[in-house]
Amino acid sequence: MTHTSLRRRIALWSSALAGGVLMGFALLSSLLIIQAKIDRLDVQIEAALIRLGRFPSGGLPSQLESLLAREMEVGDQTAIALLLLDGTGSIVYQSKNWPEALNPVYYQLKSLNPAQPQEFDQSVRPRRGRVPIAFSTRRSPTGGWRVGVVSNPQGRGAIAVSLQTIRQENAVIRRIYLITIPGALFLIATGAWWLSGSALQPVNRLSQDINQVTAQGLNQRVSSGDIDQEFEGLIQSFNAMLERLERSFHQALRFSGDAAHELKTPLAILQGELEQAIQQAELGSSMQQTLNRLLEEVRRLSSIVRKLLLLSLADAGQMALRRDAVNLSQLLEEQLEDVSLLAPDLRVEPQIEADIWIRCDRDLITQVFQNLLSNAIKYNQLQGWIKIQAQLQPQGVNLTVANASQALTAEERAHLFDRFYRGDPARNSETEGLGLGLSLAREIVRAHGGELTLADSPAEEVRFNLWLPT
Amino acid sequence: MYVLLLEDEAKIASFVQRGLAEHGFVVDHCSQGNQGYELALDRNYDVVLLDIMVPGMDGLAILKALRQAGRNVPVILLTARNELDDRLQGLNLGADDYLAKPFYVEELIARIHAVVRRSVGERQNLLKVGPLALDRISREVHCHNQQVVLTSREFNLLEYLMRSPGRVLTRTQILEHVWGYDFNPSTNVVDVAIQRLRKKLDPVGANHWIESVRGVGYRFRQPEVLP
Repeated sequence: MTHTSLRRRIALWSSALAGGVLMGFALLSSLLIIQAKIDRLDVQIEAALIRLGRFPSGGLPSQLESLLAREMEVGDQTAIALLLLDGTGSIVYQSKNWPEALNPVYYQLKSLNPAQPQEFDQSVRPRRGRVPIAFSTRRSPTGGWRVGVVSNPQGRGAIAVSLQTIRQENAVIRRIYLITIPGALFLIATGAWWLSGSALQPVNRLSQDINQVTAQGLNQRVSSGDIDQEFEGLIQSFNAMLERLERSFHQALRFSGDAAHELKTPLAILQGELEQAIQQAELGSSMQQTLNRLLEEVRRLSSIVRKLLLLSLADAGQMALRRDAVNLSQLLEEQLEDVSLLAPDLRVEPQIEADIWIRCDRDLITQVFQNLLSNAIKYNQLQGWIKIQAQLQPQGVNLTVANASQALTAEERAHLFDRFYRGDPARNSETEGLGLGLSLAREIVRAHGGELTLADSPAEEVRFNLWLPT
Repeated sequence: MYVLLLEDEAKIASFVQRGLAEHGFVVDHCSQGNQGYELALDRNYDVVLLDIMVPGMDGLAILKALRQAGRNVPVILLTARNELDDRLQGLNLGADDYLAKPFYVEELIARIHAVVRRSVGERQNLLKVGPLALDRISREVHCHNQQVVLTSREFNLLEYLMRSPGRVLTRTQILEHVWGYDFNPSTNVVDVAIQRLRKKLDPVGANHWIESVRGVGYRFRQPEVLP
């Protein structure tokens, strides 16, 4: 299974990773900033409460809230609310803007035992210092409030500072994050895309080199010069693999070449002796007929050996062609003349353009058509037909050889070009197997830069398409 | 005719020698390359038959050396190796002909005659056996001064039969030579073609020159030698 582009995945993953880190950082930093601001606020609330304690009762200055705001440096927009109680718990001062939501603070202050300032409720946190001050954050419909509560035998008081400003500042920071993080992610993704692209470039170059090697033959090697050291190992392994492949390939090639040679010599002896013996035997005697049959079998063997040798050469890409200008039309006409001799019952329908000249090895191409046509005869129907078409095209010749046939199964179609494939043994008991002929024909055509394929056709027909460059 | 046969396989050499001797050739056989080369330089052969793969100098090297030494003796290469490459190389080096093993001795003899005739500049286009005269260049056949019109295949068939009168040619042999088929079991094409050829030779009274050999093939009648 092939995965999607590695490059895209690297870009996606690195931006996802960076995105996660940035989001975490943003979240954490905004929390810490809020916390720091609240801590600072707490210090200022504490100072204000201490100052408030120094005012004589009843001698509170007017506009106490704005005075405190100035002292606390929280800015004019920040709402501040005050609630002061005397030692008995009655209200001495309550800001006009004291929010109702903060009334629990009042009850808390009222119920406090001044002697035991530690008994604040759970949400209240005592702070260090000489004056025990409890801080808490409370919610109201208009926003959060930071409340500091002090209590001593002289009096009790609470300062509530609206957290609105802090929230707003925080919102600004978040908005900044919201804009910068996607931008940063985009930059990271682009960077990762570019980086992975340049990291993959040597791989691309390597695969181009390797392609060239496979096209040019196994004796080529990928050069390891001018390549990053990370890929050196890969190149070395690849070259070592090529080396092994080449060696075993040459061994196999030499083997089939040698085997063919070793077979040819005894075949030559057999054939020569049989030929002599036929001449010497009594004319028409049964001995002579037997010798003739033996000679035929020897020829059959020779033919198989020859085809095997040609196939092994083709497999090695070393089929030598002696290209001449050949009049293909004429060659086909001659072949068709033979068909009428071989199978006079068949209807032959040629559509061959006149004077098609191609450059090819005449002997080998003749063999291709002999093979195709003798198959077309062998596997034909009684009173069947053979159609052959040849059309000259700008780059080459398009040929079709078709014949009436028994329906081929899908399996037979798939294996038609296999070496020594015979199809259904029951069906072909009388005719020769396809053996090596079609396979060799295809290799010959390929060596010429053409292609031989089995075309789709109706069930009762077998059709080969052949393309040969001019 | 004086022939040098360079062939290291004794059994092949044996039947080739016998076959050639039957046709009145005098054969020197040699199985080693360098020795063969010495012989070829030393004596005046009418034709040299070289196996390519022999111990010592191989056939192609001998051919090259002979041509460099200015010897134009006709050379026929015999080989069992990669046919196509050797065929090309051999012909490029100046071989007169090429035969791949396994080959028919009959074919070898015909090729020897052809290259020798070519080398002495003899007109080799006329082939006359009995009353039949065949012109290889104009591709015309005459019998008792009457022309017989033949198709290309029929002409080649008759030529093949006529060039070895008295010799039995099997159907496979004929099919391979005239049609160029590799081994192919449908040899009845030969019978059909022979029938047609005989029919055309019948009006000029020559059809009995092609004799059937039952179960084997055909042969062209050997004309009786006039006393």
